[in-house]
Amino acid sequence: MMPRSDIHPPEWPLRLLRFVIKDEYIEEIEGDMEELFLANVEQLSVRKARRIYTWEILRLLRPVLLKNIKSSPQFYQNAMYKNYLKVAYRNLIKKKSYSLINIFGLALGIACCVLIFMFVHDELSYDTYHVNKDRIYRVTHGESSKDGKTGPFWVWGNAPVGPALKSDFPEIDKVVQFSGRADILLSNGDKLYQEDGVFFMDSTAFDVFSWKVLRGDPKTALADPYSIVLTETTAKKYFGDEDPVGKTLKGSESSGRSAAGDYTVTAVMEDVPANSHFRFNALLSLNTFRKSRPEIFNEWGYVDMYTYFLVNDQFNEAAFKSKIPDFIKRNIQYPDSRYTIAIEPLKNAYLGTDADRQPGETGSMSNIYVFSVIGVFILAIAMINFMNLSTARSLERSKEVGIRKSVGADRRNLISQFLGESLLIVCLSTVVALVIVVTALPYMTDFIGKEFAIEGFVTWQNISFFVAVMSVVGLIAGSYPALVLSGFNPVMILKGISRSQAGGANMRKGLVVFQFSLSIALIAGTIVVYDQMSLLLNKDLGFDKEQMLIVDYNYDGAVNNKSQALKTELEKNPSIVSVAFTRSVPGGYYPHAYTQIEAPDGEMKGQGQPIFQVGMDFVTHFGLELVAGRTYSKEYPSDSSKALVLNESAARQYGYTDPKQIVGKKFDQWGRAGVVIGVVKDFNFTSLHRTIEPLTLPFEPYACRYMCIKVKSAGMRETINAIGEVWKQLAPHRPYLYSFLDDDFERQYKSDLMFRRLFTTFACLAIFIACLGLLGLATYTAQQRTKEIGIRKVLGADVRHIVALLSADFMKLVLIAVAIATPVAWYAMNQWLQGFAYRMEIHPTVFILAGLIALSIAVFTISFQSIKSALMNPVKSLRSE
Amino acid sequence: MKKTKLGEFEELVLLTVAALQQEAYGVEIKRELEARLKQKLSVGSIQSALKRMEEKGFLTSDFGEATQKRGGKRKRIYATTSYAHKVLAELKEIRAGLWDAMPRLAHELKLI
Repeated sequence: MMPRSDIHPPEWPLRLLRFVIKDEYIEEIEGDMEELFLANVEQLSVRKARRIYTWEILRLLRPVLLKNIKSSPQFYQNAMYKNYLKVAYRNLIKKKSYSLINIFGLALGIACCVLIFMFVHDELSYDTYHVNKDRIYRVTHGESSKDGKTGPFWVWGNAPVGPALKSDFPEIDKVVQFSGRADILLSNGDKLYQEDGVFFMDSTAFDVFSWKVLRGDPKTALADPYSIVLTETTAKKYFGDEDPVGKTLKGSESSGRSAAGDYTVTAVMEDVPANSHFRFNALLSLNTFRKSRPEIFNEWGYVDMYTYFLVNDQFNEAAFKSKIPDFIKRNIQYPDSRYTIAIEPLKNAYLGTDADRQPGETGSMSNIYVFSVIGVFILAIAMINFMNLSTARSLERSKEVGIRKSVGADRRNLISQFLGESLLIVCLSTVVALVIVVTALPYMTDFIGKEFAIEGFVTWQNISFFVAVMSVVGLIAGSYPALVLSGFNPVMILKGISRSQAGGANMRKGLVVFQFSLSIALIAGTIVVYDQMSLLLNKDLGFDKEQMLIVDYNYDGAVNNKSQALKTELEKNPSIVSVAFTRSVPGGYYPHAYTQIEAPDGEMKGQGQPIFQVGMDFVTHFGLELVAGRTYSKEYPSDSSKALVLNESAARQYGYTDPKQIVGKKFDQWGRAGVVIGVVKDFNFTSLHRTIEPLTLPFEPYACRYMCIKVKSAGMRETINAIGEVWKQLAPHRPYLYSFLDDDFERQYKSDLMFRRLFTTFACLAIFIACLGLLGLATYTAQQRTKEIGIRKVLGADVRHIVALLSADFMKLVLIAVAIATPVAWYAMNQWLQGFAYRMEIHPTVFILAGLIALSIAVFTISFQSIKSALMNPVKSLRSE
Repeated sequence: MKKTKLGEFEELVLLTVAALQQEAYGVEIKRELEARLKQKLSVGSIQSALKRMEEKGFLTSDFGEATQKRGGKRKRIYATTSYAHKVLAELKEIRAGLWDAMPRLAHELKLI
């Protein structure tokens, strides 16, 4: 037999026993069990003894012997917490208006914050879905000037840079190139649509970008010429529920890129996620482009390609950049070329880029900062309400504190009680806030113009972050009242000596001033944003944009051939003023051209500038003002190739202060030579964020893209239909796609308008929440002073006097806030205005107006309560003691 | 009688405690009862009966000496209270009365 000391009963049943059996029984029962175990070991085998032991222990789990949760020592603590909860609940119920202000104000603040956070989160999430996101870079193209500085960079650039990079740098794994955003007319039978968002895309696209291919082989999908990859939505549009892979779509010519042809659908991919810095409906294989125009793939001067690349582990950004000059030298043969490239990581493609000619929309980091700051402001204002109201009411709670302290609560208990109360209110507010968020979310989509996927937002990280932030909010909001209230001396309180709340009152005043400073700054900001936007929208742009109908036919040669017929036919309609054809429209896209014009000293001087190719009647049609010379005319046959019209800025660029002098000078542009025949007054052909650049307006009647129709405002709908009829007759193969020029032009301000909407909304909310707090505070002080008011009235004070008395305190605070807010808002808004070439002057009236608005809202808020208390019957207020 | 609520098994345990005197602790009670009833009993059933009766006031208990056999743990020695004796005596009387009330013939016939 084994020595006794080596034989032990099994461990876990014993532990179980110790855990569940009442502490006072454990020694006895454990001893009994051990004695029995040893007896069994002697009579039976060790194993059997152990089995019996375990079994017996399981049979010991009887209610009489188990620990009782109710009878544990925690019972007394629970009672205390129950009492805290009860007191908190009673306080909420007793002062319904305060509770409502607190909870609702805080909820609004939290809801704003959540929405802003969602917006920011969405903006920051751009392109993060790519598996290789940290290894993708893109090339930007620019020119270095003589003084060593590099000029504005373009993302859009030449084609040969891609293969050259791939062969020169071993750290580059894959290069993917794609054309500029192309428009193409696709048709499947009678389903005919113009696709505005397509790219000619390299076959390596799916190796670099993480787009999910649903059907078809991503490796070969974009290999052959005339292959097309559709997104799910596009596939559905053309093929319904059929499987499109292997079917063909008839594609029109894509101007300058590919000839018309039948595209074979090789794959269907998921729709491009909304948080991508460029999106598309379909991808055409880059080899289609290459097949149509092989020459441009070796031409370093031809710009129509975006180049992205995937790097491997050996890549080092700084080392790579230092190798760029050599790379340029090796590949560019012209000695005086100033062309250079730079690289940009994918994570900067949406928010961190200042390059021009992006493949898609870009966001604005400063908007993110502005809104984050506003979000924090609003939350701060709501928290201040909470702090103010709780400290103001501390006098009421002081009796409770006194009693708790005399009964034996120490300071820690009280602090935790008040912090707990504020956490409870934050919890309630959070629930209300979530309800607000869920109801507001559908409107947000209209508001900021993009879809919010709530599913992508609800992640563990975000939820825990949210919970953490809410706890911090609760703790901060509750900390001040908790510290103040718990510091009361019970003897003083219970004796009835209410200490003067001087410290607390100053703190409250300070917080109110802070709140109102924020609100006033936001109001002033809103006024500035509004003024600036109306300046943008109503400024005379120098051309006629009202009632201008634009029909987009995407350079269709057949339409261009019929342009004269269309013009004559349409101008027969009495509601149509005139018709003109043009290659681009104001606010649209302009190619750049290198133009040489004879300078005043007789030398030919070369400059690059945007060109706006126009048809015959463009100048008169758009109401441009001619300042010198004449415009294109049928009476001069040589105008078709030997004449050029430009704007005043261009004249100045070539050294002519008086535009009349440039008329008759020689020019050379894109293979054309002739003389300048006229100068038009500067007009804003791009958004007012930018100044008017030098511009030439060459005559190009057969490469037009748009038909512009000036219509009369009466009977707009009939006119549009009439134009549609004519279009159907003369250009039946083209869909009738029309829009209004002023809408198109304003679309450039989409993000500005969004900014204005958001800014206004949040500013209103901020002031609203601040006023809620003010209302609460005013109500409270009025109640405090009920007796005083009663006595004053008895002694003969009239209502006006009392209203003034009650309002004056708060008015002072608001005035101080105006003084603080003015310089801050002035500075901040000036910063914002720097983003516009045409900006308003910030006039002092803005701040006077903002101050007046805040003041009148505050007066209005306070007057509710002050008039009510001033009208009260003094007998009532003095009777109760 | 109504208030005592002494179960049959409890009564047996109580009687054992009374019989064992100074030796009345968990394991010994179990051993004694098992021998008399000629059946295995679980520690749990004995213990819960003891605790219940202690709550009802039939038993008092106190720690006894610790022994090696018990891994250094003390025994808890149970003792019956005078109240328990009274109740047990009552129960015995009731039973005796009932036995007496039973007709002899019926009793004897049953035996056949």
